[in-house]
Amino acid sequence: MDLIVCIKRVPQTAEAEVRVDSSGKDIVKDRLTFDMNEADTYALEAAILLKEKFGGTITAISLGVADAEDTLRIALAKGADSAVRIKAEDFGELDGFKTAALLKEVIKDIKFDAIFTGCMATDDSYYQVGPVLAEMLGVPHATLVSKVEVSEEKVRVNRELEGGLIEHLEMSLPAVFAVQTGINEPRYASLIAIRRAAGKEIKILGKEDIPVETKTNSTLEELFVPPVGKRAEILTGSADEVAARTAGIIKEKGLI
Amino acid sequence: MANILAVVEHRQGAVRDITYELLTFGRKLAEKTDGKLTGVLLGHNVDNLTDNLKKHVHRLIVADHDVFKDFNGDVYQQALADIIKKENPFLTLIGNTAFGIDFCPSLATHLGVPFTTDCIDAEIADSGIRVTRQLYDGKMDTHMKLSESPSYMLTMRSGTCPAEEGNLSAEMQKIESPITTQPSYKKFIEYIEAAVGDVDITKADVLVGVGRGIKEQANLSMVEDFAKAIGGVVACSRPIVDANWLPKDRQVGSSGKTVKPKLYIAVGISGAFQHIAGMKNADTIIAINKDSNAPIFNEADYGIVDDLFKVLPALKSKIMELKK
Amino acid sequence: MNFDLTNDQKMLQEEVRKYAQTELAPLAPEIDKSGEFPWASIKKMAQLGLLGVIVPEQYGGSGFDFVSLAIAIEEISRACASTGVIVAVNNSLTTYPIVQFGSEEQKKKYLPSLCNGQKIGAFGLTEPNAGSDVAGMESTAKLDGGHYILNGTKRFITNGGEAGTFVVFAYTNRELKHKGISAFIVERDTPGFSLGNHEDLMGIRATANCELIFEDVKVPKENILGNEGDGFKICMNTLDVSRIDIGAQAVGIAQASLDEAVKYSKERKAFGQPVCNFQMIQSMIADMATQIQAARLLVHYAGYCKDKGMQRFSKESAMSKYYASDIAVDVARKAVQIHGGYGYSKDYTVERLYRDAKILELYEGTSEVQKIVIARELTR
Ligand SMILES: Cc1cc2nc3c(=O)[nH]c(=O)nc-3n(C[C@H](O)[C@H](O)[C@H](O)COP(=O)(O)OP(=O)(O)OC[C@H]3O[C@@H](n4cnc5c(N)ncnc54)[C@H](O)[C@@H]3O)c2cc1C
Ligand SMILES: Cc1cc2nc3c(=O)[nH]c(=O)nc-3n(C[C@H](O)[C@H](O)[C@H](O)COP(=O)(O)OP(=O)(O)OC[C@H]3O[C@@H](n4cnc5c(N)ncnc54)[C@H](O)[C@@H]3O)c2cc1C
Repeated sequence: MDLIVCIKRVPQTAEAEVRVDSSGKDIVKDRLTFDMNEADTYALEAAILLKEKFGGTITAISLGVADAEDTLRIALAKGADSAVRIKAEDFGELDGFKTAALLKEVIKDIKFDAIFTGCMATDDSYYQVGPVLAEMLGVPHATLVSKVEVSEEKVRVNRELEGGLIEHLEMSLPAVFAVQTGINEPRYASLIAIRRAAGKEIKILGKEDIPVETKTNSTLEELFVPPVGKRAEILTGSADEVAARTAGIIKEKGLI
Repeated sequence: MANILAVVEHRQGAVRDITYELLTFGRKLAEKTDGKLTGVLLGHNVDNLTDNLKKHVHRLIVADHDVFKDFNGDVYQQALADIIKKENPFLTLIGNTAFGIDFCPSLATHLGVPFTTDCIDAEIADSGIRVTRQLYDGKMDTHMKLSESPSYMLTMRSGTCPAEEGNLSAEMQKIESPITTQPSYKKFIEYIEAAVGDVDITKADVLVGVGRGIKEQANLSMVEDFAKAIGGVVACSRPIVDANWLPKDRQVGSSGKTVKPKLYIAVGISGAFQHIAGMKNADTIIAINKDSNAPIFNEADYGIVDDLFKVLPALKSKIMELKK
Repeated sequence: MNFDLTNDQKMLQEEVRKYAQTELAPLAPEIDKSGEFPWASIKKMAQLGLLGVIVPEQYGGSGFDFVSLAIAIEEISRACASTGVIVAVNNSLTTYPIVQFGSEEQKKKYLPSLCNGQKIGAFGLTEPNAGSDVAGMESTAKLDGGHYILNGTKRFITNGGEAGTFVVFAYTNRELKHKGISAFIVERDTPGFSLGNHEDLMGIRATANCELIFEDVKVPKENILGNEGDGFKICMNTLDVSRIDIGAQAVGIAQASLDEAVKYSKERKAFGQPVCNFQMIQSMIADMATQIQAARLLVHYAGYCKDKGMQRFSKESAMSKYYASDIAVDVARKAVQIHGGYGYSKDYTVERLYRDAKILELYEGTSEVQKIVIARELTR
């Protein structure tokens, strides 16, 4: 099977302080660490598992600035055979739609049986790239995919719905799968694989290689810290004092 | 005048909460410009659903066909493409749910309509649409303007616009289904119910919700101990299930269980909206998180900004004292 | 002049950091408490190729250079000092001397199982009555037909209680002084070999530190590393390499200490403000960061000297080990200081880091010995 995985390098913000930069349209990034978008790690692993079973190739593609090549190299080390970076710096403001449009320009020239993307990226929280890409390529898709089982030409697909309910589908290839987190156990790259991947060439495509007009659906006007609505009463003091107050509150509510 | 179309989300015979939120939101938006809100219900044998829906919309379009018996995003896309072309609404609203995100982006792309997803607010501004969205794990908000167009499409996050009682009485318009068969390349087979485990977290009075802050599976025993001391049950955020540390039936949130305990103690949980969606109706919420900016503190009643590994044991011993 | 890591070094750093922080760091307090040797982590690290970082691929290793090994050891030690030294010993004290001085047969026989996690390695040099004074060792190996008969006791051996393959030093000819020392590869299940006392250590508590007892152990003749009398040279060359990794371990422990101290200083409030606002705290933090940066550069430079094929890099290696251990102890101490009383409590990571750091100044040559090496190179 010939597979494509779309990968994004994103800042890790769950435990970090996030601040607006001087442009008012972006966050201060210099002190954040970056890594492969969480859902993408599962998308990549899903593709690698299929390749291990059926043979074939994996092409990893990332629309990003130069650093995205580090993430692509990790993808190469884990099991991708080739990698392409689309130079984000050449294309101005992006959204999910335009990202998909640029990916499509590259993918339309590659033969593929399936494309894997994450169901969303933790930085901009669009759920767009997978389904829009599918529509542009004229192939079917499924989002929030929790399982892809391939046999012959048919594919059994699970989608995860609210409340843990599973939607079970039968699809045909080629198709796009936007996968949910937790569906497999993403591997670490071994040192040998890292060494081999380090020397591999990453194809870099810029404006001159993708000479089409692509437009965003939306323009970002401003970024701001969410207004606090109801704010918790923060209990302060030593661990012991705080524990005593909390226990007191729980008792007041009649729960002890 | 902005006419708005909203897509009714229902599953296994019931209209889902997001629908009434969308309809409330859509109606307010439409009425601001003297526009009308039209609901679209695609389903099979859904007459029993229409009475309540009619109270929330000015007009209800119903296509009844067995192709809509179960959900197939592709079927929805094809049918809605047809309806939207005919109706030509200024704005189409869809829930940012497992249902909506499976067809909205591709549908809008197909129609060439500017769209965006996961909005927590939207307004009609300068004859266009401006939305509010949330980025970076809920730590930033953004205002975005959609590109100039006669028509737009949005998915709205659930829980952002509380549903209100409806007082309208819409005319109902039954239409022929624009589509009659599932496409061969994407067929719905069945729904698979989540496995039932030994513990039902929706029945517990006290839940101790544990998140990625716990760092390591082995540390769960500390949380179990704590839960036992307080007479509660351990629940968790999604990453804990993703890592296989707890079974799926312990997961709280949009893709897990919705719980309404008397007390929910969130331990090392950041407060992503998907998690909040599952526990915001708890009577009392106490959050323990070492990051004072964690969004969970915007939802909790009481917050403890500290290391959970320090707080939990201290709290446990205080509770044991009070119990004596 | 170029301070950039190569692509593969950058990737290795990123991936090992991710692995170590997600899988090793959470175990560190546990194994510190229980003293349990982290076999499960070792098996996983074997899969990742971390047990044979510098071993050529044909023997099951990863084929990286020594700067890369130092980077890996720093990242592992930053998460867990015990695991850091376990891996360092397997890499630079066990596989390295076999790669460098072993015969083709020895490499084929011993390296794969040391790389794939089947066995862990140990280095038996120190004895109850001989530490810094290597030539004061009492162990002997007498040739008897096809075997050397090994007798003696080794003390303080990291991994000793769990290792399957040992590099052991003993006199084959006492008359010749240090030129009469030889090195052997000894397998755990050889009759006459037994474990003595398990050390109850202050830090790095999960390292299976153990006494090794050899009573008429028949070591096959072909298990000698190099020739008779090469032992001292092998030992010194091996320590030149392994000290770089102790330097790296020190940088890792120091970095972890700084991370904890910075975090805590921003959270802890006194006199109405976070303690990181106080100049005296800031002064400590600035010192710590500068010390760490300097130590890391010394470590990378020593690795670079080895990678470049420099014949003598004892000085560079000793400097990196001496300085990095010195500052690691100091940085860990400051980290405890910044935590105030809480730093002295087992509830806080810095308490462990402070205990873990102290060993750096002692093993693989005390700081005094490093200074002797450095000064001797300058005055010879
Ligand atoms: C379609 C979809 C559906 C989803 N459904 C759900 C769902 O049903 N339920 C759900 O929970 N998530 C769901 N998610 C995932 C959700 O977006 C978040 O990723 C997830 O909720 C984060 O879990 P967390 O808070 O445990 O982890 P994180 O966001 O990583 O937060 C960990 C928190 O722990 C704190 N912490 C760390 N160490 C300590 C310490 N020592 N002491 C105190 N605090 C500490 C940190 O400050 C941080 O705030 C869904 C995502 C998608 C895309
Ligand atoms: C946790 C741990 C792990 C270890 N792991 C191993 C291992 O895996 N393999 C192994 O072979 N050994 C190992 N050792 C042993 C370690 O290398 C020795 O303890 C170390 O070399 C010092 O030797 P000693 O303890 O005999 O001290 P001594 O040599 O007795 O030194 C005592 C003091 O005198 C000083 N001193 C000695 N000679 C001089 C001199 N000429 N000039 C100035 N000062 C001097 C020393 O610096 C020290 O301060 C380990 C030790 C420990 C504690």
